[in-house]
Amino acid sequence: MLITQLKDKETIVSLVDGKKVFIINCQGCKEVYFPEKEAKALQDELAASGNVTGIMTTDYICNPENMELRLKTHMGEIEAADAVLVFSCGVGVQTVAAYLEDKKVYAGCDTCRLPGFQGVTPLEYDCGQCGECYLNLTGGICPITACSKSLVNGQCGGAKNGMCEVDPDMECGWERIYRRLKEIGRLDALKCPTQVRNYATDKETAGSNR
Amino acid sequence: MKITELFERGEFVVSAEVGPPKGCHAEHVIEEAKTYLSGITAVNVTDNQSSVMRLGSLAVCKALKDEGLTPIYQLTCRDRNRIALQSDLLSAAMFGIENVLALTGDHTSLGDHPQAKPVFDLDSVSLLHTIRQLEEGEDLGGNKLVGEPPKFAKGAVVSPCSDSVDAQLAKMERKVQAGAEYFQTQAVFEPEKFIRFMEKAKQFGKPVQVGIIIPKSAGMAKFMNANVAGIHVPDEMIEELKKDKEKTKAGVTGVEIAARIIKECKPYCQGVHIMALGWESKVPDLLKLAEI
Amino acid sequence: MENYTKYKLKGRDELASLLAGTDKLFVVACNKCFKEFETVDEPDCDEFEKLVSEEGKTITGSAKVDFLCNKIQTERKLQDMIPEGTEHVYVISCGLGVQTVADMVDVPVYAAADSLNYRGHHGMALTKKSCDACAQCYLNVTGGICPIVDCSKSLVNGQCGGAKNGKCEVDADRDCAWEKIYQKLAQQGRLEEFLNQPVQMRDYSRADHKFVTEYVKSVRENRLDGYYGGVHPTERKEFTEHIPLQRFPEPETVVIPLSMHAGAPANPVVQVGDTVQVGQVIGESAGFISSPVHSSVSGTVTAIENHGHATRGECLSVVIRSDGKNTLHESVKPHKDVEDLTPDEIVDIVREAGIVGMGGAGFPTSVKLKPAKPVDTILLNGCECEPLLTADHRVLLEFADDVVYGLRAILKAVGAEKGVIVIEDNKPDAIELMKEKTAGFDNMEVVVARTKYPQGAEKMLIKRVTGRKVPSGGLPADVGCVVSNISTTKAIADAIRTGMPLIERVVTVTGEKVKNPGNYIVKIGTNTKDLIDYCGGLTQEDEVTVKAGGPMMGFVLSDLNVPIMKGSNGIIAVETDHTVEQPCIKCGRCMDVCPMELSPLYFAKYADEENWQGMKDKNVMDCIECRCCEYICSSKIPLVAKIKAGKNAVRGMK
Repeated sequence: MLITQLKDKETIVSLVDGKKVFIINCQGCKEVYFPEKEAKALQDELAASGNVTGIMTTDYICNPENMELRLKTHMGEIEAADAVLVFSCGVGVQTVAAYLEDKKVYAGCDTCRLPGFQGVTPLEYDCGQCGECYLNLTGGICPITACSKSLVNGQCGGAKNGMCEVDPDMECGWERIYRRLKEIGRLDALKCPTQVRNYATDKETAGSNR
Repeated sequence: MKITELFERGEFVVSAEVGPPKGCHAEHVIEEAKTYLSGITAVNVTDNQSSVMRLGSLAVCKALKDEGLTPIYQLTCRDRNRIALQSDLLSAAMFGIENVLALTGDHTSLGDHPQAKPVFDLDSVSLLHTIRQLEEGEDLGGNKLVGEPPKFAKGAVVSPCSDSVDAQLAKMERKVQAGAEYFQTQAVFEPEKFIRFMEKAKQFGKPVQVGIIIPKSAGMAKFMNANVAGIHVPDEMIEELKKDKEKTKAGVTGVEIAARIIKECKPYCQGVHIMALGWESKVPDLLKLAEI
Repeated sequence: MENYTKYKLKGRDELASLLAGTDKLFVVACNKCFKEFETVDEPDCDEFEKLVSEEGKTITGSAKVDFLCNKIQTERKLQDMIPEGTEHVYVISCGLGVQTVADMVDVPVYAAADSLNYRGHHGMALTKKSCDACAQCYLNVTGGICPIVDCSKSLVNGQCGGAKNGKCEVDADRDCAWEKIYQKLAQQGRLEEFLNQPVQMRDYSRADHKFVTEYVKSVRENRLDGYYGGVHPTERKEFTEHIPLQRFPEPETVVIPLSMHAGAPANPVVQVGDTVQVGQVIGESAGFISSPVHSSVSGTVTAIENHGHATRGECLSVVIRSDGKNTLHESVKPHKDVEDLTPDEIVDIVREAGIVGMGGAGFPTSVKLKPAKPVDTILLNGCECEPLLTADHRVLLEFADDVVYGLRAILKAVGAEKGVIVIEDNKPDAIELMKEKTAGFDNMEVVVARTKYPQGAEKMLIKRVTGRKVPSGGLPADVGCVVSNISTTKAIADAIRTGMPLIERVVTVTGEKVKNPGNYIVKIGTNTKDLIDYCGGLTQEDEVTVKAGGPMMGFVLSDLNVPIMKGSNGIIAVETDHTVEQPCIKCGRCMDVCPMELSPLYFAKYADEENWQGMKDKNVMDCIECRCCEYICSSKIPLVAKIKAGKNAVRGMK
């Protein structure tokens, strides 16, 4: 699932410097994450300069039909603005930019992702959508996402006290895999042929949004 | 010369490693290697060690070879995808470099370019597999190589004193399956752990060189304990380093400790690999004291 | 609609070799997400089972589950499903589902599918736009076209030399992203800006693993705090939370509906022309579940007629013109102290005072106070989890002693051991005050609950505080609890101490479209429009939605000429939202937020198909209509209306 973080204030101010702006906040994924308070503080500051023509706080602007319906009630404010500043994930910004073709549309946020696809509750484990599931070789713990280096042939030498070299608070994925395989009596899975990843995007399994 | 030939002859193989500088002048490194390491079998050249950008391993290997030394080309998967890795392997073969050590590599976030994209297209195991495939005249994409294929002595690493030793042994086995012909280990400070490890590792039938770091000070030992994976310097060793500061500073204590470790491990392994970390000049003394 | 289905059954050969080493298998298949929602089964499970039998292996059972990666729901569903003797579990899902199951069972778990390796993540609507979540948005320098996803090389400094006829070198059907970016920038006159920017360099350390891990942990804790589901709408209580109560001026006329409670409407006992006094009964209780209605003014009955009603459209109401004197009726006189009253006397007082649940539901309080089962805990609901509303908050602050007195009365009437006042952590002043006021009572406690909607719903409140789960179709008393609203509790205190029946209440008038928001003590029967006008009116005429109640569960008022009632905790005026219902995309959010752990997406689907049996089977009758699902719905489906239709139909089925 996608979440957003505010770009730093300097960047945002320099984007809209001297311009009249209309602001859109998308809080559809607020239940997962949206920097609501920080965004409001920043927007109040921008508004104090008198250059904000309007603020619309809504949800799911990634949905073009409903975004259009909602934007229509603010068209006057949008026309009075030189630019539209969108606080949403990258999909939302693109949807607005595609609709307001002639307007400068700016992103006020950077987008990151949290593990989990559906719902609003992120997960403690992740799926890297690699297209060649390794879980059968690893006792159901994903080496692509549980290992910082996405190693598929076993542990690297970087684990210390069972923790990852990248983050001492993260358990080494291969340590966990080894333990799990042992628990379920499947250490034989480690005797499989050498795994070489396939990054080809035209694989048979490739999704439909290509 | 391939160092595997020496293992086959039953020789106790000694290698050491040098790190290329951050800059395009390798004279100093080469001079040091010539002065202090010419008596040993082979010299590893590290590949952007600790994810810190440096002069390339391949170039320094070539320079060492030109000076009559036997380089071991370290190759990590962090910075290159499979195309670059295979291409560099062919380049190495063209230069007559015959020894390769395949590693996964430290993560980019640990080095001096944390913004860099970590590649890890292949890992150490699949890299060994790739080398073997090149040796069979075919690249990883299944395409035939033109002319005689390259031939390398394929080395790999293992961490015998790791707290995840079972997982390490499993990985070692996979490396053997993928074509590893010999192993160099992470630095050992606890010979008893190494010996226990070797009892399990000998089933794979591959020669192992015990890794040795000459401890420079108590501070260095503590730093390694806190930060370096798979290394634990026991307390009594740290005490020993603390006892006579002058002696330690001169390198004498460190060399004594290292020599002792080598002696204890020697009966259980097939060679030693010294990571001198700037103390290349101490290597001859160390080998003498360790009676090698 | 784009189809973002995330997995595909592995190839036959791979599956056959996997199966070779296993037998006695249980199969779990995920019903897939982010795709057009159809209620027919996905084919993968049957396909796999067929293959299994062809390979001569036995299956111990199978399950098709929605949103397999929803750990809590899946755990509950799979609990008793996997039979003894199962040696291996095969999971048909994306990697998340497989890991969820692998985490849950002790036998080896196998993935029978591969996750699809499409690039980029979609938002909620299933459009073609996607985002790679690179943590360093480039859209500001590319005219809003993403160079990371749309360019196959993810170039950030301009076009490569590979484009041919404006198409990508990787795929001749695909537009070159940088061609599009260039055109857009040229069209907007931004080429100069593009050319003068510094060299763009990607920063892969920005996708911060530590931030993500820590954040995931905190969201999970927050989401699962106290009870499953729930949402956190913007509170917007700052409009009124600090504004002290004001008495609304005496209305000239009141319209008192005879139905302001659950159950049978009251029977009028006055006639046009009668003179009535404050507190006088004007409508008699018409059954066990019913309530009397009292006059809130003294004056003359001018009509008994159907009148606009906030929740029922129209309702028989008594219209009284006030004489402005507020003469008290003779029946209004103090009762004995609570210490000297018997439980039955308390219940009688509450019944005769016409006290009903003032949180909105209007269930007669006297009925609640005579539970059929032993009750050990009284919960006072001081959560006021609805955004915007602050009525109960102000009552807690300004009538703290009355609330404690009312709680004493309830404890005595029910014979419960303990009274717990539950307040959400967004009201620290009320928490502090109530802790102080209850300090002298061993049988009272203040519990602070982390703010989450619908915490104030009885079942959630009970789960949050006691950990007990009210059974499907059950009442709080089934788990030894009685829940009472704050204003209701205060009304009980009034009825005992002054003898005044329920004739007025605190109402929050608020919302960004109200000129001067505030909290008012308002007589029952006061006209809503008068109340809004008194608050300065609305800031604009069009694009405003007025609701009776809060933004979540409130009723839209198309006509403001309706009276304030016993359950009217707020009148809000907010910006009108314009949306149209879109097809369900199985995003699974409704299921994640439903505090009753239902699957609201099926309700929408079944209501459209008029499949009432299906709705019943999915436990539609358990729905508490909290509107969490509708709030979170990314397709803006009016779920509650569909659920209500379903409930009506299911009731008719009996």
